[in-house]
Amino acid sequence: MNNLIIESTKYTPEINFDCEKDILEIKGKSYPENTSLFYEPVFSWLNEYLEEIGDRHVEVNLNLILINSSSAKVLMDFCDLLNEAAGSGKDITLNWFYEKDDEDGLEMGEEFMEDVESLKFNLVEQVI
Amino acid sequence: MLKDVYDYLKGLGGHGIFFCFTGYISQSLLTDFGDILEKKMAKDNARKTMVLRVFYMVVEKAQNILRYSAEKIEMGDETLSFGLIAVGKEDNSYFVLSGNLIHNDKVEKLRKKLTKIQEMSKEELKKIYKKQIRAVPVEGSQGSGIGLIDIARKAGRPIEFDFEKINDEISYFSIKTIL
Repeated sequence: MNNLIIESTKYTPEINFDCEKDILEIKGKSYPENTSLFYEPVFSWLNEYLEEIGDRHVEVNLNLILINSSSAKVLMDFCDLLNEAAGSGKDITLNWFYEKDDEDGLEMGEEFMEDVESLKFNLVEQVI
Repeated sequence: MLKDVYDYLKGLGGHGIFFCFTGYISQSLLTDFGDILEKKMAKDNARKTMVLRVFYMVVEKAQNILRYSAEKIEMGDETLSFGLIAVGKEDNSYFVLSGNLIHNDKVEKLRKKLTKIQEMSKEELKKIYKKQIRAVPVEGSQGSGIGLIDIARKAGRPIEFDFEKINDEISYFSIKTIL
C-alpha cells in the first residue's frame, strides 16, 4: 500500500501516514464544515493498514489545535478503532500532543484516555 | 440612515462588543475571524486557553448558522448563510453572541434541547457529551449533534438564548455564552 499524505489547509490538518516507518501523524487545525467528507480517506486507509501490520510497532501522533465538535467525534472514532486493534493484539502507541497553555486540548486528551483500555496512550505537553 | 449606523455602533460598544459581523457567513471567512480575534485578544493579554476557547465558540456558532440559518444560499460546494457573530467583554469575561433566522417548525425542538442543556451541571454535561460523541450521527447530517453540549461545557456560566417570533414562518434565534 501507499503512504497517505494530505496537505493542511486553513481549517484541515496535515495527514502524514507512513506505512514504511509505521508512523501516522495528524497535525494542525481541524474545523472543516463537512468533517466526515475530509476524514473518509483517512479511515479507509487506516482500515486497510491495520489489516496488514501484523506485530509491527505503530506510533500514532495526534497534534491538533482548534478541534470543532464534529472533528472531536471523528477523532473519538479514530481512537476507538485503534483501541480495538490494540485489543486484538496490535502494538500501537498513541501520543496526544497539546500546547502548554491549551487547557481544553489537554482535557480532551484526558477524556479520550479515560475511554481506551488497550491502546498505549501518552499525553505530551509541548512548549511553543 | 447614516445616523442609524452610528447608533448601531454605539449600541454594540455599550455592550462591550469589539468584534461584530452581520451578513452572509462562509466557512472560509472563519479563518479570518480567528486571525483577527487572536491578534486583538493577544493585545489584551488574554490567556492562550481563552483565545482558543473564544475562537472555538465562534467556529461552532458560525457552523450552526451555516447549517441552520433560514436565510441560505447554496452555491455548489459552498454555502452562504446569513447570521450574526459578535464577541465582547463584560465584567472581565469574554462572551460570544450569535443570531440567525430559523423556521418556526424547528423552534420547539431546539428550545427544549437548549433548556435541558441550560439546566445541566458540568458533570451532567460531560456525561451526556461522552454518550453523544459515540452515538451514530443522523444520516445526512453534517453536524455531530454535540456542538451545543460542548459550547455549554466550555462556557463559564449557563448559556442564554432567545427566540423572537417574526411571523408565521420564521423566528429570530439568538444565543449568548459567557466564558
